[in-house]
Amino acid sequence: MMTGRSDCAKLETLAGAIALGEASDSERDAYRKHVARCPRCLSDFGGEREIERIMNSVALSRDQERWEPDLRANILRPRTPSVGWLWAGAVTATVLAIVAATTTPPSPPLATTPAISAREVRALAGLGTQGVVPREGRAESLSVGEATYSTAFDISVDQRGIPLHCTITRSSGLRALDQSACQAAMRGRYPRRPQQR
Amino acid sequence: MEACGQVDPNAIAQARCESLVLEYQTKLARYLRRMVGEAEAALDLTQEVFLSAYRMLSADPSRELNAGWLYRAATNAGISFLRRKKILRILPLDREIDASTWRVDERSAASLDLQAALGRLPSEQSSALLLTSYAGYSSAEAAAILGTTADAVRQRVCRAMRVLRSVMKENVE
Repeated sequence: MMTGRSDCAKLETLAGAIALGEASDSERDAYRKHVARCPRCLSDFGGEREIERIMNSVALSRDQERWEPDLRANILRPRTPSVGWLWAGAVTATVLAIVAATTTPPSPPLATTPAISAREVRALAGLGTQGVVPREGRAESLSVGEATYSTAFDISVDQRGIPLHCTITRSSGLRALDQSACQAAMRGRYPRRPQQR
Repeated sequence: MEACGQVDPNAIAQARCESLVLEYQTKLARYLRRMVGEAEAALDLTQEVFLSAYRMLSADPSRELNAGWLYRAATNAGISFLRRKKILRILPLDREIDASTWRVDERSAASLDLQAALGRLPSEQSSALLLTSYAGYSSAEAAAILGTTADAVRQRVCRAMRVLRSVMKENVE
């Protein structure tokens, strides 16, 4: 049985409502009825259960996040602007000038690459934010002199060759060295597991 | 009303900015990390957002700045960053995932699939997906932030979901 093109066009909005948990009973009903007789939409969007499963994986990824950045540490970080950024800054400045002349407040900025005044650095750096939370994932320089240290670790890799966990099995005695060994191992590329059978 | 008393407006701006930073720095930084796929850049963009908040509050300490304003500014900052990056490097749409962006305990298959999908999406779709299922706004609230309609947000979420679905399928096979 054929369904009209306009029905199929509406299905995106319905599937989106289901994905967001906002669909009413009648909207769910309309969705079910449509995909039951429209194989193309069923294969394009999936059934209700599948939509929910995919959206659950988004929620799961979000809940797994552990990053707690500290803005105050970031603002004090020395940085060297690249040529690209300077160029982009010049363009942004022009855009901002135009926007300032034509729009009415309040509208958020069009994403700036702002020059920060010394007063603003002091103000932002002086904010009582979380304080001592260390930055994660930033490379640390490690000087170990002439001595030789070795670290043993186990790395587990999923079927796609993406590293999942790194466990230190024998420590070098230097925590930073152990960590950076694991970090390097986690950044590595590993072969896919060959298909079985 | 005339200014009353001797309270330094900069001090008020700083105090209000401080409470915004305390409440939203992690949320905005994580939102932007997902959107641009780089932790360092996300942190710089988060800083830009709070810097403009601080500037607005310095100019008018009584001004209302809510979460919606912060997310709108963050979205604009993210979109503009991605646009600059695209111009500068002529990147292919399917970007490599930068592993250093993700802590070891955050690198699940689901998380990497989500990031791979976000990297393929136009920013209007990735921001719709992130504002709703990630930041927790309804389609109507996300529409207000993005300056569009709730139905348009639902449609963008649907398109984003289809890309995520195909990424998940590719990786299972």
